[in-house]
Amino acid sequence: MSLRNLTALAVMAAVSLACEDRERHADGPVIDDTGHPVSLVRSPTRIVSLAPGHTELLFAVGAGDRVVGRTRWCDHPPAVATIPSVGDGLNPNVESILARDPDLVVFYASASNEAAIARLEQLGIPTISLLTDDLDDLMRAADLLGTITGQKATSDSLIDWLSREIASLRASRPGGSLPTALMVAWDNPPIVIGNASFLSQIAELAGAHNAFADVDRPSLTVSMETIVERDADLILIASDSGIPAWAERPEWRVVPAVRDRRFVVVHGTEFSRPSFRAPAAIRRVRAALQEWHRR
Amino acid sequence: MTRWVGLLAAAAAALLLGVVVGPADLPLDAVWDGLLGRGDQATQAIVRDLRMPRALLAFFVGGSLAVTGAALQALVRNPLADPYLLGLSGGAGLGAVAAIVFQVGGVWAVPLAALGGALLAIALVYRLALVAGAVLDTRVLLLSGVVVGAFAASLMGAIIAISPAPEVRNALLWLLGGFDAASWRAFGVFTAYAAVPLLVIYRQNRPLDLLALGEEPASFLGADVERLKRVLYVAASLLTAAAVSVSGIIGFVGLVIPHAVRLLWGHLHRSLLPAAFLLGGVLLLVADAIARTAFAPLSLPVGVVTALIGVPVFVLLVRRWAK
Amino acid sequence: MGEVIFETKNVEYRYPGGPEVPAVAAVSLSIESGELVGIVGPNGSGKTTLLRLLLGTLRPDRGEALAFGRWATEWKRRELARRIGVVSQREEAAFPLRVRQAVLFGRYPHLGPLGAPSSVDWAAVDHALRRCDVAHLSDRWVATLSGGEWQRVRIARALAQEPRALALDEATASLDIRHEMEVFELTAELVREHRMAGVLVTHHVNLAARFVDRLVVMHRGAARASGPPAAVLSDAVLEEVFEWPVAMTQWEGVPQFVPLRRAVEGASGAVEGEQQRE
Repeated sequence: MSLRNLTALAVMAAVSLACEDRERHADGPVIDDTGHPVSLVRSPTRIVSLAPGHTELLFAVGAGDRVVGRTRWCDHPPAVATIPSVGDGLNPNVESILARDPDLVVFYASASNEAAIARLEQLGIPTISLLTDDLDDLMRAADLLGTITGQKATSDSLIDWLSREIASLRASRPGGSLPTALMVAWDNPPIVIGNASFLSQIAELAGAHNAFADVDRPSLTVSMETIVERDADLILIASDSGIPAWAERPEWRVVPAVRDRRFVVVHGTEFSRPSFRAPAAIRRVRAALQEWHRR
Repeated sequence: MTRWVGLLAAAAAALLLGVVVGPADLPLDAVWDGLLGRGDQATQAIVRDLRMPRALLAFFVGGSLAVTGAALQALVRNPLADPYLLGLSGGAGLGAVAAIVFQVGGVWAVPLAALGGALLAIALVYRLALVAGAVLDTRVLLLSGVVVGAFAASLMGAIIAISPAPEVRNALLWLLGGFDAASWRAFGVFTAYAAVPLLVIYRQNRPLDLLALGEEPASFLGADVERLKRVLYVAASLLTAAAVSVSGIIGFVGLVIPHAVRLLWGHLHRSLLPAAFLLGGVLLLVADAIARTAFAPLSLPVGVVTALIGVPVFVLLVRRWAK
Repeated sequence: MGEVIFETKNVEYRYPGGPEVPAVAAVSLSIESGELVGIVGPNGSGKTTLLRLLLGTLRPDRGEALAFGRWATEWKRRELARRIGVVSQREEAAFPLRVRQAVLFGRYPHLGPLGAPSSVDWAAVDHALRRCDVAHLSDRWVATLSGGEWQRVRIARALAQEPRALALDEATASLDIRHEMEVFELTAELVREHRMAGVLVTHHVNLAARFVDRLVVMHRGAARASGPPAAVLSDAVLEEVFEWPVAMTQWEGVPQFVPLRRAVEGASGAVEGEQQRE
């Protein structure tokens, strides 16, 4: 056989093997957000989800009926209440997870989960680690989960929809200069939200500029005078408890936006993590900003 | 005499530093305007309502920690004693972490919880150290402090283990020390509260000298040793608890400053205590200035900076001693 | 002779958690100004406990222990420190101290918390340093002194208190002969010069006998004998108290005792005894 024919044969063999692979498995070789390939024999039917965002995502792509375990912090959609909790999502209790007899465990990508992941892998249970810190993470995760659970059609359409919504929101942002928004994660020591955070993304899309957008971190500890110096136009608060107690403290009242009570408050779990509820959330913030403008 | 002039000058310079330096890059003339109530509103607010009370608070807390360290070193006759050896840092930490994690409401929740935890630890350590009725055994005091501190720390660990990550990280950051909650009100409250124990400790400056000879000789030279131990312990503990509740756990000031002062001023507490107060204030002010500006806009916990300064200083002191 | 400085009336003391037998039982004595009294006895006889009762460090279970006419335990420590100077066996300063400063500590009972030592205070310090023959050591660090020198410095400190009584608690136990003699001489002189009441607790019976006006011999908590050395020291008393055979002799009119050796075996196997008592 000539070299050319040999090569052609090899290529064809490889292609047919690859096709066979794809037929044998419900999904292709999948790489998760920590770079590990996910080894799955068949489409999972008993999934344990270890992050509220992941749980929400699984339900969104139509695999909610296959979720048999969730964290105690999972709260959306309401149907999760009937699913047994396995405790914490970070550094979780492996026994509780095993008690649900899973064939896939979906982790939040974090170093504190490495021990649990190793343990489960040892026991032959496939795991997948996903990040869902912002909307790009969300779309990637949706794609992965949709592929794995055989719900690719649903996930594809959701991703399409979300991309269009984001584009539309971006295009329809109010013109002119945007107000600057301060987002506070903690009061003492003062921790503010930086650029690499979901809440910051929401604010930007809604039409407010993060006062700390120059810092490419999810959050950062700063001193009070830095906050005063940035002189944000408003303080965006995503909390169920409204205006926080620290707003009464003397050192916080030096911040002009606090002194003048320039608060914009929104509440709901859709602000604490990226999900397909994000466009609605962004619209709520936009409405709140417009309302604030009018005042 | 020149030592005192130098120290007072250093104190003035440090206070000035606290007002002039900061992550908000304010030029000198703007700071001057701000001090006098002229010019830009934001600058005025930063200089008068943030930097000034913060500088003063850091100074007073640093001074209080240094005086406490000196008094405790005399009380337990151990040069390695520091305000946190008596277990109250564990108690304060436990109180603060519990308040944060269980989301106890109220603006003063964390400081009050830290204070409460510290006071509980103090009471427990004191009770443990009371052997044979009324006598306070300082060796048992030290050991009890370590034990109570370890116990509180392990409880803290348990709370942390069962709590959601963000609150925990915030609680631990608070514990590492910082003056971000500084305001004129905080300064006023702390100073009013700290003045009494500080004066009480200073009033005992002569018995503190005598204590170095041993409890019995001190007693024969006129020190009411049992009362002295009680008074010192309570005053030192209250002072430290106040400092912790206002600014978290800031180490090394109480340990290192008394030694540094002894090198120049000797061991007699009549001059050691005021000098320690001033030098402790200077150290903490400088540390806070560094913590605020070194990585602007990011802000470091003050306790980290004092450790970074304190450890090499401590090594230097130990080497001097070994000679 | 003079005013009664120390006095006990049937005083009794039992250490908490100690044996049923009291450490000091029914001891009555009085010490006046101008007299030097020695308290001697074997270990555990109660001599240190008795001193502690006199100084108000311990509270009697029964009876009274008075200093300057009041219950010793009722005195404020500061007030008592202005009246009684105490020198104990051993003492270590936790930080480096110069001799002059160490003696200045003796003025502390007279100083307020804020005032600096006055010229009166320094005069008292310097006088005490000279009197105790340690003025030449004024600028030395205390840690560099010999045992005897440090002891004299502490006597100087006690003297600087300008007390009306001096108490020495086994103050010479670790000293060599020269320094021990110096301490005894100095103490006796100070007591006479200043008409102080002096009490010293010591193991060294023979030496004490040569310096003191009176001896109190303690035995199992009780004062077995009390009075001038010539009257108190006899073989009968000493053998009973120290549970050891002794021979008596004299030096300058003061009885001295010599503890006897055990009988030793001779080369021939016969038992040879010490020279028999006279």
